[in-house]
Amino acid sequence: MTTTTAVANDIVGTKRGRWPVGLLLVAAPVFLVGWMIIWPIISAIGRTVWLPNEGGERSFSLETYAFFFSDQYSLNNLWLTLWTTGVCALILILICLPISLYLRFAKGRLAAYVQGLAIFPMFVPSIILSYAIIRVLGPNGTVDLLLNSVGLPKIRSPYLTPWGPVIGLVWDNIPLTVLILLSGLGAVSNQSIEAARDVGAGRWALLWHIILPRISNSVLVAVSFTVLGIFSSFTLPYVLGPAAPEMMGPFMQRTFRDVNDPTMAITQAVIAFGFCIVFGLFYVRSVAKNRAA
Amino acid sequence: MARMLTERRIDWTGIFFAAVLTLVIVFPLIVVGTWAFTNVWRYPSVIPQEFGLKFWNQTLARADVWSSITMSLSLATMVTFLSALICLPAAYAFARLDFPGRNILFFSFLAGHAFPKFGLLVAIAGIFLSLNLIGTFWGVVLIQLVGTLLFMIWIPVAAFQSVDRRMEEAARDVGASPLRVFWSITLPQAGPTIAAAILLSFVGTFYETEGAWLIGAPQIRTLPVLMISFINNQPVIQYGAVLSVLLWIPSFIALLFARRVISSGSFARGFGA
Repeated sequence: MTTTTAVANDIVGTKRGRWPVGLLLVAAPVFLVGWMIIWPIISAIGRTVWLPNEGGERSFSLETYAFFFSDQYSLNNLWLTLWTTGVCALILILICLPISLYLRFAKGRLAAYVQGLAIFPMFVPSIILSYAIIRVLGPNGTVDLLLNSVGLPKIRSPYLTPWGPVIGLVWDNIPLTVLILLSGLGAVSNQSIEAARDVGAGRWALLWHIILPRISNSVLVAVSFTVLGIFSSFTLPYVLGPAAPEMMGPFMQRTFRDVNDPTMAITQAVIAFGFCIVFGLFYVRSVAKNRAA
Repeated sequence: MARMLTERRIDWTGIFFAAVLTLVIVFPLIVVGTWAFTNVWRYPSVIPQEFGLKFWNQTLARADVWSSITMSLSLATMVTFLSALICLPAAYAFARLDFPGRNILFFSFLAGHAFPKFGLLVAIAGIFLSLNLIGTFWGVVLIQLVGTLLFMIWIPVAAFQSVDRRMEEAARDVGASPLRVFWSITLPQAGPTIAAAILLSFVGTFYETEGAWLIGAPQIRTLPVLMISFINNQPVIQYGAVLSVLLWIPSFIALLFARRVISSGSFARGFGA
């Protein structure tokens, strides 16, 4: 008994001795997180509610927020962003759920090919993707060429309309959505599916009663990830989207750099945080839970 | 008999997905590839009138292309180097040492992922404004460095944790110094995964567009930023196509080496699946 305590003390003692070493080794990246993530967020909220008046003294004011929510142009941009995010999330689930279901149960070369293609967009930077979409779907693009060659009229190009970013963002987000859903489907055991089949469950009953309840968490994670990524996406909406109304990403960039109004840009950022906070917290919680397990 | 039947059954769903995905994912990239090797392609011809490398010479003769290639490579190298320098020792500490607040500090790297990214960049830019870091090389380095932290810590931590501790202890028992054990036992086992993390963070930084555009423009012009200006203002289509092919090279390298890491379940789990 006494020896055990002594040994335990010894171990605790050695660990104590290494505390400073551990803290020292992690200090630099932890400092960066504090300085470049936590502090900017606190400071962003502080700067936008604690505004300087004419005399240069700062006092509490919600002026910039009041302006945002009364300005029709800002509201249009916010609405376009919400619309794009919602449409993309819906389309992504509708496309990726069937693909993941197929990949979960199929085997062989064809399935490997489908999986390879579904993951491939991860290796195509979004700027190349934007360029490819313009070349294919833009005015006089490849689709127009092909339609023209068989005597059909040209398409109404989605380039520079709200559908341009939607197409690009969906394309770009397919790989991670499929990977997240596939990982969730991996937890659905073959036995439970066979058991349900044995009692005569059809395909849809199987999907609705056995599979979907088990992967609902993965679907929510996929949706949260998509919402966080798309809500403030910049490159694709900037290149493919309409000039006005614009999505929050390009809007913030323009307010910050071109209009040169950092306070208003930061206000827009804080509003974006507010709309995404639920998804953000849920996403982080699921990642942390997974990692801890 | 039963086996023959299953073999003969045609996987229509698979064929459907394969056909649609090939059309939607591969076809647009083939179009860009074709443009890059085209000298003349006028509407309404379905195939180019003249193939050739004319625009490769012209694109590679442009000074702005070379300066942005150099800029992108030096940024990505510097960011990856700094990231490895600060993150790998930290990852080792998280994997092996005990210190107060270890868990909360470990999960603090997730903080950046709880917020919409561009909003966070604007908030950081607000702080950089008062530090005069806007439009500077080091401003872009800092903002891209923050983007690599999560990958460069979490992946190596997993790598260090999977090293066989008994081998390390055995080496210590026969008198190897801690440094020697690290060099000869720990590093060779954790090495390949750490190399994959370094490769991914290099490639990720190379393509990072939003921070570079918000913080660096117009002084710091990386290859993706140049590509945006080609898309917006360049009437010669082939310049953009040639640049796309050049721009894709690092991704292609990542595709060759990191595909296995990404296809494995652990990668998706890192994203919270």
